[in-house]
Amino acid sequence: MAETTTKPRRQPPDPNSAKYKLGKIADDAYASAAAAKARGEMIGWCASNFPVEIPETLGLAVVYPENQAAGIAARGGGVTMCEEAESEGYSNDICAYARISLAYAKLKEAPVEPNVPMPDFVLCCNNICNCMIKWYENLSKELNIPMFIIDIPFNPDYEVSEAQIAYVRAQFWDVIHGLEKLTGKKWSDEKYKEVMEISGRTSRAWLAATACAKYTPSPFNGFDLLNHMAVMVTARGKKEAAEAMEILLKEYEQNHVEGKSTFRAEEKYRIMFEGIACWPWLRVTSTGLKGRGINMVTTIYADAFGFVYKDFDDMCRAYCNVPNAINLEHARDKRVKLCKDNSVEGLLVHTNRSCKLWSGFMPEMSRQIGEACDIPVVSFDGDQADARNFSEAQYDTRVQGLTEIMDTRKEAK
Amino acid sequence: MNVQELLNRFREVAACPRAQMENYLKSGKKVVLTAPVYTPEEIIHSMGAVPFGAWGADIELNESKKYFPAFICSIMQSLLEIGIKGGYRGASAIVIPSLCDSLKVIGQNWKYAVPSIPFIPMTYPQNRKPDFGVAFTKAGYERVISDLGKATGLTFDDAALGSSIEVYNAHNAAMRELVGVLAAHPEVTNAQRSDIFKSAFFMLKEEHTELVRALIDALGAAEAGPAKTPIMTTGIIADAAGLTGILDDCGLQIVCDDVAAESRQYATDTPAEGETNLDRLALKFRNMDNCSVLYDQEKNRCKKIAADAKAAGAKGVLVILTKFCDPEEFDYPLIKKACDAEGIPVTVIEVDRQMVNYEQARTAIETFRDIL
Repeated sequence: MAETTTKPRRQPPDPNSAKYKLGKIADDAYASAAAAKARGEMIGWCASNFPVEIPETLGLAVVYPENQAAGIAARGGGVTMCEEAESEGYSNDICAYARISLAYAKLKEAPVEPNVPMPDFVLCCNNICNCMIKWYENLSKELNIPMFIIDIPFNPDYEVSEAQIAYVRAQFWDVIHGLEKLTGKKWSDEKYKEVMEISGRTSRAWLAATACAKYTPSPFNGFDLLNHMAVMVTARGKKEAAEAMEILLKEYEQNHVEGKSTFRAEEKYRIMFEGIACWPWLRVTSTGLKGRGINMVTTIYADAFGFVYKDFDDMCRAYCNVPNAINLEHARDKRVKLCKDNSVEGLLVHTNRSCKLWSGFMPEMSRQIGEACDIPVVSFDGDQADARNFSEAQYDTRVQGLTEIMDTRKEAK
Repeated sequence: MNVQELLNRFREVAACPRAQMENYLKSGKKVVLTAPVYTPEEIIHSMGAVPFGAWGADIELNESKKYFPAFICSIMQSLLEIGIKGGYRGASAIVIPSLCDSLKVIGQNWKYAVPSIPFIPMTYPQNRKPDFGVAFTKAGYERVISDLGKATGLTFDDAALGSSIEVYNAHNAAMRELVGVLAAHPEVTNAQRSDIFKSAFFMLKEEHTELVRALIDALGAAEAGPAKTPIMTTGIIADAAGLTGILDDCGLQIVCDDVAAESRQYATDTPAEGETNLDRLALKFRNMDNCSVLYDQEKNRCKKIAADAKAAGAKGVLVILTKFCDPEEFDYPLIKKACDAEGIPVTVIEVDRQMVNYEQARTAIETFRDIL
């Protein structure tokens, strides 16, 4: 008779924990959009780096197709949806988030959660890539709904020019007035001030929490950041998000004091992970590190979504300074700082087939980071949402290589 | 020159851009490379330099792989490869606009891969229609002017820009007229047609206009050859000899195109309105439309392709999709829908600058011809 094994039952998360609260905020975003739709309100689909201050101040419910695509991919539905888009003529070279989203726009349902209500308008911002424009143009056309765009051009210079601030500021007001006209909602300076303050509070807590990686061992597993950043992207203007991030910070500080960590293994090596997560292979990529005692203590997300600004122009500047909108030198320096602040010993780069912009100058930038920080750099091929573009064997070999170099360096010290 | 002599001249220039560049350099001219697309050539021209098209080439890639992952389009990869290997030596600068993600990243790589040729960014707005978009375009041009001054030692003068604008508008008009003339002359092959367009990148526009005008006149006096099957092409580039040769072998004739390296760039003239000539140039960009790298919420480009094909009497549309070109790949399903709605057959073939074997494309094109 075969032996039977009982899987240990997972403890339900503590409702007072940051993890529970942050998960709930992310889930509530979908629920509140569905509720708004049911009430007959207009709802939007919104690009992840679109200024959340606008829909938040106007009181518009929005959902985020990138988050939805990541969720669908993480639950195993990415390839089915990608193939659906490909059957419509979309090349399999196109960003997998876009393919999943365009398939969803056609089918209006996915084989796995999250399902989202259909939009009445789309809000596009291209400060992460111009692919967003093409994707949202097609959504707008296929669904026959208006598109609002804030074009934030890639900045070839280190500092944001006054001309760019003026261009972005004018577009903010253009979109705000357009949304007022379409939805009947009204902009309130008072409400905006409140949102700005909350967003600053959330951001400060997030930056402080992620900076806890300065402790050795780190009080958290860096993969936590990949989950929590969804709240930073979509809900940092909400009071609940600020409160949850402050709890997260408290928990990390407490972990440090008690010598605990959400990284459930001995932290032998500390690395920075570069790129979007391989959502369909999250467990594989995570355990491939954990099994070797490698903690991914930081990513550019730690810095990217901390929007702290003092006024409207400064907010425009903050949106011009997100990671994929800045030049190589600026992008490199942000990463070098994270590596140095957090005692990083190696850089693992995800060459993400879905993201031409993120990967397009990564070889040169990662060489420069490696030199500046005197750390080894290893890359692997993957994709944020198309499971077909990842090889577990290649990943394992590359991570093993990185481990051996870090090991040799440790011994030499 | 007669028709054949003119076509030979276009061929000579298109096939040997390096020789053209050497000639300009020997004559004491400064040469400034212009990457795709919509680089403000008029500014470079007005400052006395030669704007020299840099759209990559059909070559093997080695050095560029140190900078780019495999899934960046081969136009950018080969452009960087040529730069690294010294194929552009002597150029004073390269101006690269930022209208797609691959264009954004090549500029960053260029700085380290080809440090001997300064990178000058041209940052265009996608929200180009409102006044604030026009102001941002103008600010971008001013930055280009400033950087060009540093790289070449040449100076900018708004009146000189006015003269260059006239040169470019005249060239646009000649190229638009040429398309119609060529459509009536099937004896000019698709390969020769491609040479005419390609040679424009490597010549001063006033020189090219003169040759094109001569060809238009010469063809006007010539008898049209036997009819072929008329088609329309669309894509970013369509200059590969392997491809145009197959079209010729299959008895297909390109009667109009929406190719970025061909007709698309000549669709919009600089208008007369505008306080200064630089303002006029900014308004030219405002007026541009129907291009995969220009924001187009209504996807008018897709409808226009179907309408243009119909108006030109094309029996089908051949989509020449540059591999890894996101903007074009996103438009394809909607182009197909628009053409389907008009009953115009569409076939897509993927191309890149590393293709040596076109047999798969040949099969697709032969099937396409049979459908037509």
